Amino acid sequence: MNLLLPALGFGVVTASILALAGVGFSLQFGVTNILNLAYGSIMTSAAFAALLVSQRGVNLWIAVAAGGAFGAVFSVALNRVVYTPFIRRGTKLFGMIIVTISVALVIQYGIQAIWGASFFSLEGLHASAIQLGPFVFTTTQLGILGIGVGAMIAVHALLRYTTLGKSMRATATNAVLARNCGIATDRVIDIAWAISGGLCGLAGVALVINVTAFTDTTGSDLLVPIIAVAVLGGIGQAYGAMLGALIIGITSEIAAALISPDYKDVVAFVILILVLLVRPKGIFSEIASGKEVAA
Amino acid sequence: MSSAWQFYISSVLIYLGVDIMACWGLNLQFGYAGLVNFSFIVFQAAGAYTAAVLTLGRPGPASIQQYLGGAHWPFPLPVLAAGAVGALLAAGVGAIGLRRLRSDYEAMVMLVVSLIATSIATNQTNLVNGANGLDLVPKPLAGVLHVSALSYQWFYVAMTAVVCVLVFLLVTLITGSPLGRSLRAMRENERAAAALGRNVTGLRMLAFVVGGGIAGISGAILVMFISAWSPGSWLYPETFVFFTALIVGGSGNNMGAVVGAVLVPVAFLEATRFLPQFGPPGFIDAVQWIAIGLLALVFLWFWPRGVVPERRRRFPRARSQPAATGGGRLEQNSP
Repeated sequence: MNLLLPALGFGVVTASILALAGVGFSLQFGVTNILNLAYGSIMTSAAFAALLVSQRGVNLWIAVAAGGAFGAVFSVALNRVVYTPFIRRGTKLFGMIIVTISVALVIQYGIQAIWGASFFSLEGLHASAIQLGPFVFTTTQLGILGIGVGAMIAVHALLRYTTLGKSMRATATNAVLARNCGIATDRVIDIAWAISGGLCGLAGVALVINVTAFTDTTGSDLLVPIIAVAVLGGIGQAYGAMLGALIIGITSEIAAALISPDYKDVVAFVILILVLLVRPKGIFSEIASGKEVAA
Repeated sequence: MSSAWQFYISSVLIYLGVDIMACWGLNLQFGYAGLVNFSFIVFQAAGAYTAAVLTLGRPGPASIQQYLGGAHWPFPLPVLAAGAVGALLAAGVGAIGLRRLRSDYEAMVMLVVSLIATSIATNQTNLVNGANGLDLVPKPLAGVLHVSALSYQWFYVAMTAVVCVLVFLLVTLITGSPLGRSLRAMRENERAAAALGRNVTGLRMLAFVVGGGIAGISGAILVMFISAWSPGSWLYPETFVFFTALIVGGSGNNMGAVVGAVLVPVAFLEATRFLPQFGPPGFIDAVQWIAIGLLALVFLWFWPRGVVPERRRRFPRARSQPAATGGGRLEQNSP
């Protein structure tokens, strides 16, 4: 139990980062049908945007907001400038995988070419420990938890109570039908990229706050756990992604504590591959079923 | 020609041979059978480790590197064993991983296979010496030939060429036959191929296993030349380099694979390895990867069928209207 309780605490923090990133990834994949493998690199670039802001001596939370805003703008631009033109040109699924990996490489190594392959930390990280029942959290960890829970409540409210949320769910389930029903799917797709990018940016900054020292690969190292979260929950399903984030965040931290920290990511890899082979549609399968992911 | 130049050129030729073989292997899987194998580099790695372990001998308890097994097999047995291990591993991965998934989901499965393999090879340090990898792999026949280092380079070039020719014969045996036609039919429309009585599960497995075996052989030739192999040599973006080579050269065409291997892994990655470094450490590396990414994007945009597009097959009914056999809009953009 000595190992398990702290691992559970870490797991909840990891889960909130994964939930931010996973919900963003899942919403975007669901609405646009593009497996965006550049997602991890966008997280890193948002972290570097936050780094630039934090170096000006502003409050850390302003840097967090800047990271989120950067992620949103960058994702919308990426979709408008690269992804949509390729799709209009008739690039198929495989081609789009190559496009998104290419973009991922260009962003990641672009960051490396500018900043070099060394470690960076956000300015203004002052962590002090707080005892909460059996758990010990640092103030920054509580901040990450707060961002995670706050963003999840916002996503819930958006999807559940607004017309825009309804249009997004409709577009994810059946884009053609949604368009024929008078939903401006192009606008919905733009907004989906913006929301997904914003969550991606927030997740990127939360991630580098959590690990304290980060490099040009910090975001892309988390890409497969994020995909695992999204696929496990069911593509396009925000609540599924939240559940997936809890499952993967907690199990990987417990595996790290009980087996070895080296195998922390392997848990996510194994969960992803099992889900893909046994139930590729994920837990909540409505949207994935409509996309014929498995023949 | 000075001996430094000869060393340089022979080294590049050996890398070229290895990359051509690898591209043929991936072309069989992706170009012909349509399998999105993003773990291709794992099979090359498996072959490289096999060849290394089978030539290094048993590790003593005090050895600087620890690994499973170990033997002093005479050349060319380690190369053949590497091909067999690559094929066997492909059979195992294929039996579990090759489901009828949408191609981006299939890519995800294979990407994760690649990551898991790297993780195991790195963390299980007694398997293939962990992150440090294997080193001091002996050069084949070096003890028998008694020739100068330079002559040995050219001997190795010749040997690589012979292996390339054998692999080419194997690949064309498949792609040039009715079997190759079945593979292409499956790639274009799996359900239609199955409806015409083709065993699509068997065809997928066949392409996957033969491609894996070829990858294993290419890994063996590579490791015996560079004499070291570690998880850093086969990270998953390396597979992307081979995919880029096929896109640039022209997938579904063995000559296109050769052109791609010349242009992408060799011209872009291998040759610059010998050039003087400039900028901060890691800068050249970063620029290379950016260039590869942009190259893939540019080719997918302008020439999605590659420099040497797949040959359009003409069958008796189409002969009367040869002009109508083009591939539509994409064809117009081809050079």
